[in-house]
Amino acid sequence: MMVSGLAPWLCWALPTVASVFPVVLRGVSGRTKGVLVTAAASLSWGMALSMLPGLTDTGYVERGTVWFTLPAGGSVGLGMLIDPLSIILANVVSFLSLLILVYSLRYVEHDPGADRYWFFMSFFIGGMLLLILADNLILFFVGWKIVGLCSYGLIGHYYHDDRKYWIGGPPPFPSQRPSRCGLKALLVTSLGDVSLLASTLIIYTYAGTFNFMELYQTADVWLAAMAQNSGVLTLTIVLFLAGPLAKSAQFPFHEWLPEAMAGPAPVSALIHAATMVKAGVYLVARVLPIFYFAAWVSQPSYPEALTFFVLVAAIGGFSALLAGTQAVVAMELKKVLAYSTMSTIGYMMLALGVAGLSPESLVGGVSAGIFYLISHGIFKAALFLCAGVAIHASGSIYITEMRLSRRRMRLTWAFMWISVLALMGVPPLSGFWSKDEVLLSCLVGGQYALFALASATVAFTAFYGVRLLGIMFHSGRESEGGGGNKDERGEEPSRLMLLPYAILAILTVAIGLAGPWVGEMIHGLFGGYFTSLGLVAVSHTHSTASGAAALPVTVSMAVAMVSVLMVVAGGVPAYLLYVAKKSSAAVLLERHAWLRAAHSFLWSRWYMDAAINRVFVRTTLAARGPFAKYAEGSLDRAINVGIPALISSASRGLRRIQTGVLSVNMLYFMAFLVLLILLLLWQEVV
Amino acid sequence: MAVPYLLLQTVVLPVLSVPVLALLGRRVGKRIGWLAGGILAYTTILLATAGHSLWGGGAPIAEEYSWSTALFVLKFGFLADGLSLPVALIMNVICCALVVFSIEYLDHRIHVIYKRESKPLNAYYYSQFMLFATGLTGISLATNLIEVYVFLDFLLVPLYFIMDYFGYTSRHRVATMCFLWGFVAGALFLVGSVVTYSQTGSFMISDLPLLAGTPLALTASLFMLAGILIKLAVFGFHVWLPWVHAEHPSCIAGVLSIIVGVENYLLARIFVQHLPGILESISLPLMVWALVTMVYGAMLTMAQDDVKRLYACSTIGQTAYSLFALASCTAFGAVGGIFYFLSHSLGKAILFSVAGIIVYKTGVRDMRQMGGLARKMPVTAMLCVIGSIILSAIPPLSGFSAEWIMFVGIFQRGTLDTVNMAVAVAGIFATFLTMVYTFWPVMRIFFGPLPQSMEGVKEAPMSMLVPLLILAAISFILGVYPEIVTRFLVPVLAAA
Repeated sequence: MMVSGLAPWLCWALPTVASVFPVVLRGVSGRTKGVLVTAAASLSWGMALSMLPGLTDTGYVERGTVWFTLPAGGSVGLGMLIDPLSIILANVVSFLSLLILVYSLRYVEHDPGADRYWFFMSFFIGGMLLLILADNLILFFVGWKIVGLCSYGLIGHYYHDDRKYWIGGPPPFPSQRPSRCGLKALLVTSLGDVSLLASTLIIYTYAGTFNFMELYQTADVWLAAMAQNSGVLTLTIVLFLAGPLAKSAQFPFHEWLPEAMAGPAPVSALIHAATMVKAGVYLVARVLPIFYFAAWVSQPSYPEALTFFVLVAAIGGFSALLAGTQAVVAMELKKVLAYSTMSTIGYMMLALGVAGLSPESLVGGVSAGIFYLISHGIFKAALFLCAGVAIHASGSIYITEMRLSRRRMRLTWAFMWISVLALMGVPPLSGFWSKDEVLLSCLVGGQYALFALASATVAFTAFYGVRLLGIMFHSGRESEGGGGNKDERGEEPSRLMLLPYAILAILTVAIGLAGPWVGEMIHGLFGGYFTSLGLVAVSHTHSTASGAAALPVTVSMAVAMVSVLMVVAGGVPAYLLYVAKKSSAAVLLERHAWLRAAHSFLWSRWYMDAAINRVFVRTTLAARGPFAKYAEGSLDRAINVGIPALISSASRGLRRIQTGVLSVNMLYFMAFLVLLILLLLWQEVV
Repeated sequence: MAVPYLLLQTVVLPVLSVPVLALLGRRVGKRIGWLAGGILAYTTILLATAGHSLWGGGAPIAEEYSWSTALFVLKFGFLADGLSLPVALIMNVICCALVVFSIEYLDHRIHVIYKRESKPLNAYYYSQFMLFATGLTGISLATNLIEVYVFLDFLLVPLYFIMDYFGYTSRHRVATMCFLWGFVAGALFLVGSVVTYSQTGSFMISDLPLLAGTPLALTASLFMLAGILIKLAVFGFHVWLPWVHAEHPSCIAGVLSIIVGVENYLLARIFVQHLPGILESISLPLMVWALVTMVYGAMLTMAQDDVKRLYACSTIGQTAYSLFALASCTAFGAVGGIFYFLSHSLGKAILFSVAGIIVYKTGVRDMRQMGGLARKMPVTAMLCVIGSIILSAIPPLSGFSAEWIMFVGIFQRGTLDTVNMAVAVAGIFATFLTMVYTFWPVMRIFFGPLPQSMEGVKEAPMSMLVPLLILAAISFILGVYPEIVTRFLVPVLAAA
């Protein structure tokens, strides 16, 4: 094994430990603290790179020890799992994190909360790498929750809620404060987390282990035990999926992502494009072998396990379309990107779901999903970094107010176009190949409905992509720029901020040019990996390992054609409206009532946010007062006031017997004597 | 090298120091709190030494002193085993931290109520506070039921007097309420103990297994359970808690939540360890009752606008978590339940103290009048977030480790049948509510715009912040290396 023993440990531990220094060190300049954190991240990336040679080895490596003792001789491990999935993701995450931290050095230069920013960013990166490298569900969950916590801290970075940091609107539509957005993200993702934990613990009660590999290897034993109680497997799957779906902002847990844009741009880039939202995809990919085994390989097979793939694919596909349509009408730059992220992750989930819906599509689906994860992380991070620059340069979060100059921001304009074209899936950029793979695996698996859904989404993506840049840079009325630093108005940013997204854009082109080979390499990696796990029969390997080449060339050509067709179908109208200005959106809306209705429906986010607000938030807020007054109030009064009142009225009543009048007392005395005599007589008789 | 009379020292030293603190404090004033802190630090070190010997695989430390040989043989003993030692140790640490926290807080409180400086009143407080330490340590180390009763009622004395002298709204009435509720609960427990004696001929806790199978076994158990549940503030019996915990001075509010939580320890000691059969028979009703308490407590907490009452009501639901876990009659549940009690005590001490700092510095209790305080009190804000993280069971602090361990047990119970599984799933989703009611107030108090009236607010002094930071550090260590707790608890509770 070429993997150095300490590398995975250092990979996540370095940023975690480094996070403490910005908060604890006094008398050190903000810049130095930032450099310290960035240095730790670069070392972390170095560690990830050193694990790359391990990709050539088939199978996996585990390194760890026992964490602590549990009852009944159980134990939970503290270990690292190194296989193609974790190596690829660790590299993607650490590389993107490093670039974004470099960008941040300039971005938070004058931010009074910079210490807090560096702490949370570094802690986040450590947590993200921990969850990628963890070898068991509990350690994984630790990283998962840390990531959620840091996301809360970073989204709510501008906690003082100064008006200029509010998102939403434009007036008359409501705006939200950053602190509220942070809380919303925390609560929605935590609901998913609780569900995931429940499922993890249910699995543990049957399997006796949290370790991913042990769970897979002993799957036949614990699945059989689980199957004895009907419905438990389905319950476990549904509870399990809530976690990754919430973390990755998929329906119905997606409403936190648009609000998460309240955070600084690098935060959106790191957390909501490159890493945290991918954690859900990673988890689904990580446990996929177990459920695939249950559905297709084990004897007897467990058809219940197919629920896993059906849910993932269906929700992924729907989320992709849902978000795509919302991006078409969004006015805030970062909201467009947020919806776009949700949509793209829907694609990845779709690919992973399709992977398990038929035996032929396993390797294709998983490699398509992971390939798209890599390329998306790169160009979406670039887009968010550009967004930060654009917002800063124009002083507005609304694309309609930006009117940036192509002349003065030539490089940013170019890199943004490259990233958007990759997002749209225009060949030969990276997005095209990866999106193509997803569509292909749908077809291979025979999932025609999902194929149609995915293709439709391509059209929407193309539309909003062109629309975005059309409005931003091609509006024809360039302003002098209105924001931020007077010197930076409407100008290119400093090199420290430009360099990261320049690198990312160039990488997008590079991966695009090498597209088919990268795709095949990933395909081969997972093919070999799944074969070593015993999921794919050897004869199958030959046909699937060569991936697209095994299928009739006409099929993959057809898919490519459909893909390009959809891009054109979406892109051309947008071009005509927003770049060439043959007509304008306002005119079209005025003319067609159905367009207006559609627009309002999409603008209101399919009324989902409003519904959730009404059902959960407003009801709780409204119920608080009556609950305290009537429920607790009446109990409180009944016991704390009622019982003493009862006792005191009883004592008042009883006191009346003691009249203090001598004759009455004599009467009592007499009555008592009579009673005594009667009692004695009765005793005699008996 | 064994320390002589180690456990006796830890229990008796605080109560012996009462006259010293009272008399010396009349001269010294609030700074006598440092002496109190020193004494509690010493007892903590003693307990840590005991823990160290247990850690290395040593036998439980048992001390026995003859109490009465007249009518029946009654021994006064202390037992520090895997269950009682971590509990006693953590409780002592929290008491030590809070007594140091009180130094600034109480002086301010005296000024607010009595409108003057008063060294004797300060002395009075610290001498009364030491009774808490004796009572709590005594309960956890006690070996017989009468001893437990004595220490339970022992705690009522400082509860009453501190509330009466230094409490908030209607302090005299609430002090009486607190005393009566505690007394009735203790009396019920005593009845249960006496019935136990009538059946087994012994008050010793280690002889409790003899109770099983006797004709009055269930009666004795129900009486003891009633006493425990009233003090645990389960739904129905919870109405005293919001008053008592909210109106007590915040510097000891953390101790109050320990007093509530130590009932869980009693439950583990008496029922989980020695009467598992009886617990098994009432498991489902008890779990459902705990679940109702969890949900009700959460809803009540969300309805609060007063920052002190908020955390008070939160204790109702949080202690019910441990009850939920212990009632599952599984080893995981028992270990997790006690671990959760310890973790909650740390977190709640931090949160109550943060509430105290806010009231101390701003003079305001209503959260609707607060906002943006993180600007002025960044360390306090961070402590509030840390406390919320502990309660919400987010790693890497102790709440997460405790919670997942305990829910393993609860889900193991859930595999029995559908009802139990439904209860388990409902239980874990109820924990989500904790996150809502801890993090939402953080936003209300510390984020957003700062009201004009609070422009002059300053951060709390070091003597108030450092103890809380130490408690947070302990929670972090327990969260990252839970072995420190589980190695003690598992051998004792896993036999169940």
